[in-house]
Amino acid sequence: MPDLGRAALVTSFLLLSYATVAGAFAAWHGRRRLAESAQNALVAAFAATVVATVVLLVALAQHDFSFTYVANHTSRELPLGYTLTAFWGGQEGSLLLWLLVLCGYSVAAVLTARRAGREVLSWVVPTLGLVGTFFALLLVFVASPFATQVAPADGAGLNPSLQNPYMAIHPPMLYLGYVGLTVPFAFAMGALLARRTDERWIVATRRWTLAAWAFLGVGQLLGAHWAYVEIGWGGYYAWDPVENAALMPWLAATAFLHSVMIQEKRGMLKVWNVLLVTLAFCLSLFGTFLTRSGIIQSIHSFTQSSIGPWFLGFICLITAGSLALIFLRLPLLRSKTRLESLVSREATFLYNNLLLVALALTILWGVVYPLLSEAVTGEAATVGKPYYNFFLHSFGLPLLLLMGIGPLVAWRRASLRALGRTFLWPLAAAVAAGIALLAAGAGSSRIGVIAYTFSVFVLASIVLEFVRGTSARKGLGDVGWPGAFSSLVARNRRRYGGYVVHAAVVLLAIGIAGSSAYQTVREGRLRPGDSMTVAGNRLVFRGFQTSTESNHRAIRANIDVYRGGEYIGRLRPGKNQYFAEGQVSNEVAIRHSVLTGGDLFLIADQVNADGSLDLKALDKPLVNLIWLAGLVFIGGSLITLWPDAREQRRLAERYEGAAVQA
Amino acid sequence: MPGKRSPARLIVALSVAAVLAVFLLYTSIAGGGTPSLIPSQAAGHAGRISVGGMVVGKPTGDAHAGGLHFRLRDPKGSATIPVVYTGSVPDLFRTGREVVVDGKLRSGVLVAVPDTLVTKCPSKYTPKT
Repeated sequence: MPDLGRAALVTSFLLLSYATVAGAFAAWHGRRRLAESAQNALVAAFAATVVATVVLLVALAQHDFSFTYVANHTSRELPLGYTLTAFWGGQEGSLLLWLLVLCGYSVAAVLTARRAGREVLSWVVPTLGLVGTFFALLLVFVASPFATQVAPADGAGLNPSLQNPYMAIHPPMLYLGYVGLTVPFAFAMGALLARRTDERWIVATRRWTLAAWAFLGVGQLLGAHWAYVEIGWGGYYAWDPVENAALMPWLAATAFLHSVMIQEKRGMLKVWNVLLVTLAFCLSLFGTFLTRSGIIQSIHSFTQSSIGPWFLGFICLITAGSLALIFLRLPLLRSKTRLESLVSREATFLYNNLLLVALALTILWGVVYPLLSEAVTGEAATVGKPYYNFFLHSFGLPLLLLMGIGPLVAWRRASLRALGRTFLWPLAAAVAAGIALLAAGAGSSRIGVIAYTFSVFVLASIVLEFVRGTSARKGLGDVGWPGAFSSLVARNRRRYGGYVVHAAVVLLAIGIAGSSAYQTVREGRLRPGDSMTVAGNRLVFRGFQTSTESNHRAIRANIDVYRGGEYIGRLRPGKNQYFAEGQVSNEVAIRHSVLTGGDLFLIADQVNADGSLDLKALDKPLVNLIWLAGLVFIGGSLITLWPDAREQRRLAERYEGAAVQA
Repeated sequence: MPGKRSPARLIVALSVAAVLAVFLLYTSIAGGGTPSLIPSQAAGHAGRISVGGMVVGKPTGDAHAGGLHFRLRDPKGSATIPVVYTGSVPDLFRTGREVVVDGKLRSGVLVAVPDTLVTKCPSKYTPKT
């Protein structure tokens, strides 16, 4: 069995190397047959990687502890589901997942994105092959998932806090995102190498970029939700290096998704786009590197492993190679048109891009600051939450505002008079909301009021766009409002799907502002019968209750919650003591309020021997909007991703014409 | 619009300048980062520091009343530093674990900033080597 796995990986490595070398040779000399052979090698490498994956999954399912990997990450008592998801619980398995997803994406993208043109495609294959070769090399020579040992009686087990459905699905989501960014990167490099610097590579990879970006976004929200319900400190994002590692490529990809629209419509920003896609890809490699190398202190530092230097070398190679290529092709990347006005759709997209990239780079600076300061002063220093929050406010709030402005400004050149008309209602709504908020006493947090006011402005402008579009469409024929609305969205999926995603970001902003700027925290030591009050909720401690479960002892504090003298329910925060792992895990109790979207969040901080409890109670207004934003985000992404026959026909006509000319 | 220069360049130049300005403003107000040290390096620092090390000996006291007392040792060494900590104690905190805590030195004792204690993920992920 392990031999089969090893052989499959070696085969995959050889095939990917062949795809790289033969593919590059074929593309260079224009050998069509050889290029097809390289492409077939990519498909075969995918098949070989699937075999390796199946071998590891079977070993996990059979509890075959002669596999070092299986013994280190599972145990006999672990349920089958978590046993299988241990596939990506450790370093070797997650590298294998990287390779599997990469090969899958590569095959699918190469087979479906023929529109990019044959010359471009023949360079895409060796680029994808190169990235795949790197990961296969690591799996064969450095971190093999098929290392064997004398089988122990039982495995080491899985950390109880990771035995959670969110944790099972969060890593593969992130991987689908990280790895997916390879596709647009490879097509950009392919276009540069083939000297086809028009927008065809962008059109051909649009869906792949969007899908990768959506997976990355959803993956992060799942991670945040897991941290919120499972870790029990009352937060969902801590600016930890590993969390930032996923946020940075997402920000760069967000910038890329916007700026490619300018290249599609106006033929501008070609250099910027290839730089952005390179940045996004390098940040995704850097993210994998951060997670896996343990170079920067993080509460997530899973492994202190030997693959760090390999990754660093590969990142340097990719960065240097792509920058050199972009430099060589600069003459081909000149824009045909230029920015005509500072008040135009293009200009607002440019502002948005600069802010997103600035945010990503300041986060990157914060992440690598310990390394830099150690190199300069000899003493590692870390930047904390205030640093990140400062830049989130400085760049994030203007971004939020731009989200309301950008989509409503005309291309090329907008007149101020037209702008005044467009923005009259959103502006009025925002001002009214701002005044109402101040009157309601929200002025305790200036940032919060600004964020809410901007959010109202953006939401109003989005709603207005939907209303305008629907009524225009209704005017065209005798259909009702719902019919006009659905045909509006169906005919402009990219545009209106984009608005839905914007609405999701607004919900996210409202949720974050509400749960951080307006949260209330109370702590206290309670004896049975004692009470404390947080944000109008009176919490009465009624004593502990202990029960013994199959693998842990559960201690729960019974807390009765009263609001305005009325009993509204019992919450039971506590702790679990696991017998096998000898670990304690905090079990928080959360009471969601459907009406206000807020949470009452209780943490049994310390269970004392004298029967008293140190209770931490948090009131987190509007926090559930963050999770709602996740659902809206998925919906919006699906709308933009949905296949569109009309768009396909239009593109086909456009490029058939171009192909005849060329 | 002066000359034939593209306004795009103007925007980029102004934005870069604005970003740099914001950045400088921040560093001038907040200064650099918090030095992250191991116990043997902590002596002599007057400001806030972040100390990472292994918990040695039995922790005593109460983190919610009077403070939890424990010692941190260099991960690969013998120097130790006493710590007084108040606030939430992570589930994974115990003797032998590697933890990081922020605080200021008061006559040789690291007085921790409340709620800054974090434990590093225990290596269920990797074999102990």
